[in-house]
This record gives sequence, C-alpha cells and structure tokens, in this order.
Amino acid sequence: MTAARVGIGGPVGSGKTALIEAMLRELAEAGIDTAVITNDLVTDEDAERLRKGGQLPPERVRAVQAGACPHTVIREDPTLNMAAADRLEAEFPGLDLILLESGGDNLASTFSPDLVDFWMFVIDVAGGDDIPRKKGPGILQANLLVINKADLAPHVGVDFPKMLAEATEVRGGGAVLPTVCRKGEGVAEVVGHLRREVLFK
Amino acid sequence: MSADSLPVIRAMQLADSGFPSGVFAFSWGLESALADGQVDRHSLCDWVATELRTRWHGFDRVALAGGHRLSGAALAAWCETIDTMMPVERLRRDSVQAGEALFASARAVRIALDPGATEAERAGTGHFPVVHGDFLRACGLDLPTALMTSAYGMARGAFSAAVRLGVSGAIATQRDLLTLAPLLAELSADIPDDDALPSGFMPLSDIALMRPRDGRLFIN
Repeated sequence: MTAARVGIGGPVGSGKTALIEAMLRELAEAGIDTAVITNDLVTDEDAERLRKGGQLPPERVRAVQAGACPHTVIREDPTLNMAAADRLEAEFPGLDLILLESGGDNLASTFSPDLVDFWMFVIDVAGGDDIPRKKGPGILQANLLVINKADLAPHVGVDFPKMLAEATEVRGGGAVLPTVCRKGEGVAEVVGHLRREVLFK
Repeated sequence: MSADSLPVIRAMQLADSGFPSGVFAFSWGLESALADGQVDRHSLCDWVATELRTRWHGFDRVALAGGHRLSGAALAAWCETIDTMMPVERLRRDSVQAGEALFASARAVRIALDPGATEAERAGTGHFPVVHGDFLRACGLDLPTALMTSAYGMARGAFSAAVRLGVSGAIATQRDLLTLAPLLAELSADIPDDDALPSGFMPLSDIALMRPRDGRLFIN
C-alpha cells in the first residue's frame, strides 16, 4: 500500500508552511506516519524551517527546487516530486501520508492528478476578502479550501462570515475551513477532513 | 503515415518541453554564470554551443550511447563507470536526481526500462544521460535519433532556463535554436564507438554549478 499524497498550494505568505507545522502535531497524535516534500521557489527555506521545527525527523523532510517555475513542478512536470515521493516511500515503509507543499503561487495554480490524490488551497484574509470572488482554479478546483489568519479579519477590514459564505458559494458547496494556524485553531478540523476523505484512518 | 514517420513523431514527443522528465529545474551552471556575469543575453547562444561541444558531445553523448546499447549487468556496470567518471560531487548528485525523475516518469507513463537501469537506480548510480539512453531505446528510437533528441533537449533546456530567468525571450531563443540547428545535427551525427569512454573539460560551467548562491531558483 502506498502513502496518500496530499498537495498544499496557495499564494506566498498565506500560511502553507504554518499549516503543515500545525498539522504535523495533530497527525503525530493520531499515529499517522507522515513525511513532507517542499517546493521552495528559492533554495530550501521552507524545508529547513520544518526540519528545525522538530515535528518530524529531518530525513523525512525533502526539498525539491522549482526551477523558477512553481506551477510546472506541481502540474506540467511533476516528476521531480514523484521521484522524491517514491524515494520517501522506499526509505520509510509503512508511510501513511506525504504532504507536498507548493512553492507559493497565484490563484491559477493547481496540482497534477498524476502527483496527488487530494489537494488543498490555502488563502488568508489579509490577502483581501475579494479573493474567493476572483475564482481562480486554485479556489475552485481544490478538494479543500483553507482560509487562514481568520483572526486578522477585523484588523484588515474583512467581513469574515461573508468571505466564508462567498468562498463556499463559488465552490458550489465544496469544503471550506477557516484556520488560525499560528494558534492551532481549525487545524484539527483540517486533519479530521483529511482522515475522513483521504486516509480513512 | 509512412513507416519512417513513427520514430520522428516519437522523437518529437520525447524532445518536447511538455514531456515530463524533471529537466526544467536544472540549469547546469547557467543560473550562477548569468548571475556572476560570465554569460549574458548576447553570449547565451555561445554558452549553449560550448556546452553542446563539451559537456554534451564529450560526456553525455557517450554516456547515452552506452545506456542505449547495453542491457542487464553491463548496463548497471556502465552506470557505475559514468558515476566514477564524474569527479564533481555536485554534478554527480544532480545527475542522479535528474535520473530519478526520469525513472519516475517512465514508471508513470508505463515505459519498461531495462533491469540493469533499475538496478542502477537502487544503487544510486542511475545517471540521467545513461537512463535517458535506455529510456529512448525503450520508446523505440534508434541511437542516431536518440542522440538528436538528447542534444536538442539539452539546448532547449538551457534556453528555457534563460527565459525563466528573464535573460532572454522566447522568440530570441527560437532564433538561437535555429542558429544552432546545424551544430546539433553535426554533433549528434557523431555516433560513439562501442569502446568510447566519456570525457569532459567544462571548468566554467562546472565551477558555476558548484558555487553556492543565495536565492537560487534551479537545482543547479
């Protein structure tokens, strides 16, 4: 049995790495054997952050450089990520889950179905409450939309319940979950969604 | 469709930038050379021509021919030979990483590679040019066509990197590729002898790909 491969995409600064850090704690408590692949736009900063975070042994965090093209490495040519995932599965038999973090991109980014079984898209309220209305493929096609930094809404003039409702509407009722990753809020729900929809565990 | 057109169509597919093989993320020193001013938009075509004459013709062409011709234990041993002949550690590591992406692509597209190649993958010596030779053979290309595909792919990859780095434009690089077409044809028509060994002297690009650089976008 191979590990489930789950993509995490979204604009730069929306909180993808913070979400992974918070998820790793929940996944560890649930006994879900996890590894991570990061696609940093530049060098391997996100991978280093996760290694230093101590939630996973460093060898379970791999970095794949995106060749100046974060779209390509997860969609048009995902083979470097596929190879990294294959290598992780070979080195860690029994792995349940491989999280693949995109290097940060715009609303048009999507994950190749050749690469992942499920993917989520992370936006944040500080990016503006009009993001869901812009309806990029990331917003519309992701299996799960996460709206992070919900606590910042009053500080950036965002009507959060309205943003949440609009996001749900443009996605035709597709799953949307709010989070405050830095405080761990909503992360259990994201992990619960993954366990229910992907991991069956 | 004539019997001759099938290999040409296969070669076009396999040399196309849309074929997923991971090569887009490697610049083989070009990114650092551009950043250091060793090459610029005006000398880019010369840089690619030099890489073709040295790295590709001296090393990759011979490595690929072995990958295309050999099988089983002889192919695995050829991978070890290639590994031994890459003294630059960074280059060796990146070549294996590029090879791993091609293995992943072959598995996904369901192209059966030779057991000698998969043995090399397990041993960590599945270098890209050798695996590429086996891969192109498995796709039905003869050696001359495989060499053309490889040479063109190297040139296209370098120009594509330059476009993504903002140094050159997509139209200018097509002009450069037209300029280099006779060189690509000349170099790839040189079929290596069975007992040929790879050699190379590319100090500028080898040093460039070894240099640590903040803000690096490509694997090398």
